[in-house]
Amino acid sequence: AAAGLCPYRALLARRGGALRALCGSVRGLAAGPETHFGFQTVTEAERREKIYHVFENVAKKYDVMNDSMTLGVHRLWKDILLHKMNPSPGTLLLDVAGGTGDIAFRFINYVRSARERQLQQKLKHHQNLSWQEISESYQEDKFKSLGDSQVVVCDINKEMLKVGKEKAQHLGYSEGLSWVLGDAEELPFDDDKFDVYTIAFGIRNVTRIDLALQEAYRVLKPGGRFLCLEFSHVSNPLLSRLYDLYSFQVIPVLGEVIAGDWKSYQYLVESIRRFPPQEELKAMIEDAGFFKVDYQNLNSGIVAIHSGFKL
Amino acid sequence: AAVLRRAAAGGRAASGEGQGQDPDPGQGSGSGRPQPLEPSLLRFLVCPLSKRPLRYEEATNELINEELGIAYPIIDGIPNMIPEAARTTRKKPPAEGSKQP
Repeated sequence: AAAGLCPYRALLARRGGALRALCGSVRGLAAGPETHFGFQTVTEAERREKIYHVFENVAKKYDVMNDSMTLGVHRLWKDILLHKMNPSPGTLLLDVAGGTGDIAFRFINYVRSARERQLQQKLKHHQNLSWQEISESYQEDKFKSLGDSQVVVCDINKEMLKVGKEKAQHLGYSEGLSWVLGDAEELPFDDDKFDVYTIAFGIRNVTRIDLALQEAYRVLKPGGRFLCLEFSHVSNPLLSRLYDLYSFQVIPVLGEVIAGDWKSYQYLVESIRRFPPQEELKAMIEDAGFFKVDYQNLNSGIVAIHSGFKL
Repeated sequence: AAVLRRAAAGGRAASGEGQGQDPDPGQGSGSGRPQPLEPSLLRFLVCPLSKRPLRYEEATNELINEELGIAYPIIDGIPNMIPEAARTTRKKPPAEGSKQP
């Protein structure tokens, strides 16, 4: 369909042959129904393999590339996601495809500030406590800085998690944070456990989105919230043209210059074009059982935040 | 504050100072000194296939699903919950290398 767009598809196809053989020997299973990898048509098994390799290759340069490609704007998008989530201390967050930890760290910062404000309010109102009451409050250990908030970062890619964990240590995040290597389509978590489920710039890379949404629904507590931050579709024709130009002419070049990997970033821009638009994703989220499903466009639809509740 | 210090120590176990974990030379996977699993995770973690609870086996640093007879490895403190990574525990002694393809 878009044969003229990508001059490097021949290169990708050659790689594809070797990968296919590898898949066959490693899995020993039927490769599965046809799906897409960027603008290519591949089997589901191939797609998973290719995507794993993309993120394996870009892991170390992931953050730098995000800043370069979006001119730092991705940070604002993630801040807006947290602001929309507005977590209170004590919230349990599952961040899927959370690799390098951007959402997790923001969550921790957010609840820490909220907790500080909470404690300050408490102190203000407790100026007239008796000594008995004051000593009791110390014993109850009420001064936890995160107030029992917790975030579990789950990602399918070892390299991305490794980068995330190192970043956490470097930035001093340890309390209330844990890392799990897991598959969004088959989560290793029990039912009805989490208050919030987030997937930021990850659902696009999931092969069976419907399964991931079903799993999201399963692990959320009743009343829990699903939040998805993802590249979406720009309806404004002029902006769309400029966006296409930037995506296909600039981003892969940046990928080559900064990460030494043109192909992965070619995949990135193609996968954005292949991803369902706002309304379609909304319908898929509703199909998984979520209620009050809504979306908010950021930057005219370059990015959208979808939200839903498990009732 | 004591809670915070303990949690911080657990989180920074990468430097090799585990929490009194016995260094297990038989482990052979990477650092040779297995990092402990974040204890709070055990509240949430289940087998991704059966969604049933798991048992943490300290000796081999794995999460065991007794029913299905599979064990998920914990590498650098991160549990690997991908089904393909798990090894079967039945008919095979646990001494068999835990390094998974």
